[in-house]
Amino acid sequence: MITSIAHATIYVLNQEEALDFYQNKLGFEVGDDMKVEGGFRWLTVHPKSKPQLQLVLAEPKEGPMFSKDAAEKIRNLITEGAFGAGVFETENCHRTYEELVAKGVEFIQPPTKQLYGVEAMAIDNSGNWFSLVER
Amino acid sequence: MATNYKFKRLNAGREYIAGNYHTPLSLSDIAQYAHMSPYHFLRSFKDTYGETPNEFLVRLRVESAKKMLITENFSVSEVCEKVGYISLGSFSSLFLKQTGMAPTLYRRKLWALSAEAYRFPSQAIPACYAYHFLGK
Repeated sequence: MITSIAHATIYVLNQEEALDFYQNKLGFEVGDDMKVEGGFRWLTVHPKSKPQLQLVLAEPKEGPMFSKDAAEKIRNLITEGAFGAGVFETENCHRTYEELVAKGVEFIQPPTKQLYGVEAMAIDNSGNWFSLVER
Repeated sequence: MATNYKFKRLNAGREYIAGNYHTPLSLSDIAQYAHMSPYHFLRSFKDTYGETPNEFLVRLRVESAKKMLITENFSVSEVCEKVGYISLGSFSSLFLKQTGMAPTLYRRKLWALSAEAYRFPSQAIPACYAYHFLGK
């Protein structure tokens, strides 16, 4: 039986800039920030109340899994907003929306009543869409 | 769930821990910083963040120690001191509990696995990611 999800990947254009966004705008904390052999930076963040869920901030680069062309295509898709970072939950969507707007987070939809709760949609500083949901 | 005002105080306490984990901290000091009684702070912190202030503190210290043990050349005693423990015995047993290895063994094992000095080996991250990004 699978009990939970421990890591999920968010592809970003620049790890340092993404870290600034997720840490200083969204208020996430750094889980791991490790220098790994081969020059790879293993960087994860998580919501303060969920250290068990690590979001891996990874740059698509030429390497074992991506050709130079594939990495470039993925970077372009991120910029175009083709990828979603997921759904983040909040206890008060309107309040969190106001706080994040004040910090300069770009929203593409203000808090809106949906069948499953109140939802706002925003974009991270790479171009990934994410939802902010109050259930 | 905590009210906005209470959440701000809790968060202030949490930030205080995060900014001072390398120094000796007591629950009453942290609670005082958050303008709450120790019991109220402890209970609210656990309800809000899913872990107690001490569990949060230990997690920060052990994560910092892991990084120092691999990427720096400090002795285990120095690492112990730098992450806020006075007793090497307490540090070692907490480290063992969190990682399954004593600090010295952790360093020896990971250094032996890494192809580069002062870098974590690929085995320190989930294999699917190591394969994906490092081809290992």
